[in-house]
Amino acid sequence: MASKKINKKDIAKLLNQWSRDFAVFAPSRESGVATMARWGGKDTGFLDWYRNTVVAPKANFLPQMEEMFRFQKDGEGYHIELPPDGEKQLIFGIRPCDARALAIIDANFKDLYQDPYYLSRRNNAVLIGLGCTSPGESCFCTSLGISPAESNDVDLMLTDIGNELLAEAVSAAGKKLIAKTSGLKAATRNDEARAKEVKKTAHNKVTRKINAEGIVERLLACFDDQGFWEKVAAKCISCGICTLLCPTCYCFDINDELIKQQGTRFRSLDSCAFPVYTKMPMENPRAEKWKRVRQKVCHKYGFFPMSFKDIACTGCGRCVRLCPVNWDITQVINSVPAKTGVKK
Amino acid sequence: MEQKLRNEARALLEQGKVDWIIGFEPGSLKFTTTPLITKDKNDTERLVINPFITNNLANFLTGIKGRVGIVTKGCESRSIVSLIQDNKVARGDVVILGVPCPGIIDLSKVEKLAGKHRDELDDITREKDRVIIKVDGKTKEFPATQAIFDHCLACELPTPKEYDILLGEPTPPIASPAAQENIKKLKQMAPEERWAFWEKELARCTRCYACRNVCPACFCQRCFVEETEPQWVLPAPRWQDNLIFQIIRNIHVAGRCTDCGECERACPVKIPLRSLTREMYDIVGELFQFKSGMDKDALPLLTHYAEQEAEDLFR
Repeated sequence: MASKKINKKDIAKLLNQWSRDFAVFAPSRESGVATMARWGGKDTGFLDWYRNTVVAPKANFLPQMEEMFRFQKDGEGYHIELPPDGEKQLIFGIRPCDARALAIIDANFKDLYQDPYYLSRRNNAVLIGLGCTSPGESCFCTSLGISPAESNDVDLMLTDIGNELLAEAVSAAGKKLIAKTSGLKAATRNDEARAKEVKKTAHNKVTRKINAEGIVERLLACFDDQGFWEKVAAKCISCGICTLLCPTCYCFDINDELIKQQGTRFRSLDSCAFPVYTKMPMENPRAEKWKRVRQKVCHKYGFFPMSFKDIACTGCGRCVRLCPVNWDITQVINSVPAKTGVKK
Repeated sequence: MEQKLRNEARALLEQGKVDWIIGFEPGSLKFTTTPLITKDKNDTERLVINPFITNNLANFLTGIKGRVGIVTKGCESRSIVSLIQDNKVARGDVVILGVPCPGIIDLSKVEKLAGKHRDELDDITREKDRVIIKVDGKTKEFPATQAIFDHCLACELPTPKEYDILLGEPTPPIASPAAQENIKKLKQMAPEERWAFWEKELARCTRCYACRNVCPACFCQRCFVEETEPQWVLPAPRWQDNLIFQIIRNIHVAGRCTDCGECERACPVKIPLRSLTREMYDIVGELFQFKSGMDKDALPLLTHYAEQEAEDLFR
């Protein structure tokens, strides 16, 4: 299908049109910080300020906190009340790094087992990607095979070509959406050439690089090098920022809240940075900070690719720019020694 | 000042007077620094002092074994003194490398002044009471008071009172009323409005606990939020539980909080936490005429017992 385009002035109309069929989410600072928030019907100011959200769109599929079910004592057993299925979401403006992140965590929630909560949202959702034209200083997506303005992980990809956005269908769902959307104009060959240029320029703007070559083997080789990990972990304060706000970190905790004879089971994000994450009645295998930092790095760059092929990092840069002590995973990955010569 | 610091730090390690040096080195992003915690004398060459040394390094003292030479701004010196009062740090185990601090640059404020994201700025420099921003080949100047953190505007001790080596000339407090603007606004709100304000702010808390983990006064081995019997708060980030977490944390650090502002700065979702901590700081001052971290020989406010001041219940 030939690509389409839409004037930026008409984006509000477009989102309102899509709101008839979807719960539309778009970048917003309404909550006090940039998130993918329910589209309010008017404000397209994000087209000017939006770089990326602080809270990754992972939250639209794996919320920070959700009710799994409510329960009530009922004779000998319990009456269980399940939450309604997820809404049909349309996420407008997701960045290629964050779209890839969803594809990465699918490996856990979709392929390894079928997580009903995640899938009831994920299977229904339409992702509208918006190419990133000013990647941040902390971004390093190109080192992980992602280009800031290109994506195969969305349904429809938009590229900023000046006064207009070029729209290219990526998936069958994207084609279907374009077909039933009114108000889109046909793009010219010039528009397409311009978009190609924009994508290329954006790609070259990503200057932060990591050396991910042979990273699985390199990490395994230095896994027991306590000195290395202690040095790496020295300034880490063991907060949960880099994990909870990471678009690919998916660990969760489950808690019951019981009041008298009834209660709710909650699921919420958890973080391997916290000592209690691995605390068990008799011991804690990761009581020391260096072991937790090692776990975080090795899970993303070692164990995850060993299990599922992909590295569980998309170079979105959130952990780098949000860390209160500037603990920078790109420096850590680059300092993991080459496989040979690591044993002392 | 920087070279003097490097020399002193190197000498301390070489002479075996300390096992560790804690200071700042250049960060990996523009206009940032990062804590440097090292035993290696050669690393001291990377030590810096500049308007971006944001962290409160006293936070690292309780997690380190051995004697430490530590780069110390006024706020850090108060945190160290508070830790000494609480017997968490022995005065003899720290060599305080005092740094007079005229205020740390708040990049969020600079972004607003420049109308640009920090990534797009070419340079930010501090010249006495001016901050100079270079962007798009142009130079913009602002009074420093518009570009430094609120807690720096409120700082009562820019130059450490407790130190072993003082690097540079003492600098006076700024004492700008602007530091308390947000708190004033909150106090003027009707209770319902203020409740709604905090509901909205705390709804986005992710329970990353960065506010707690950057805080030198939060030194509990086990935080109440991690207790399961009883479970004081739900570990999930429900706003009401987030509120309880903040209130209890605030009460726990009363008399220890030095208004260093780290909790608010560290918050990834920009919850105005200092509006809570500073208010508590002022309440402590008003009720007990106590300023935390000013005198290492003073007894810690809420953990000491004096018979004559006890109410009948405790006698």
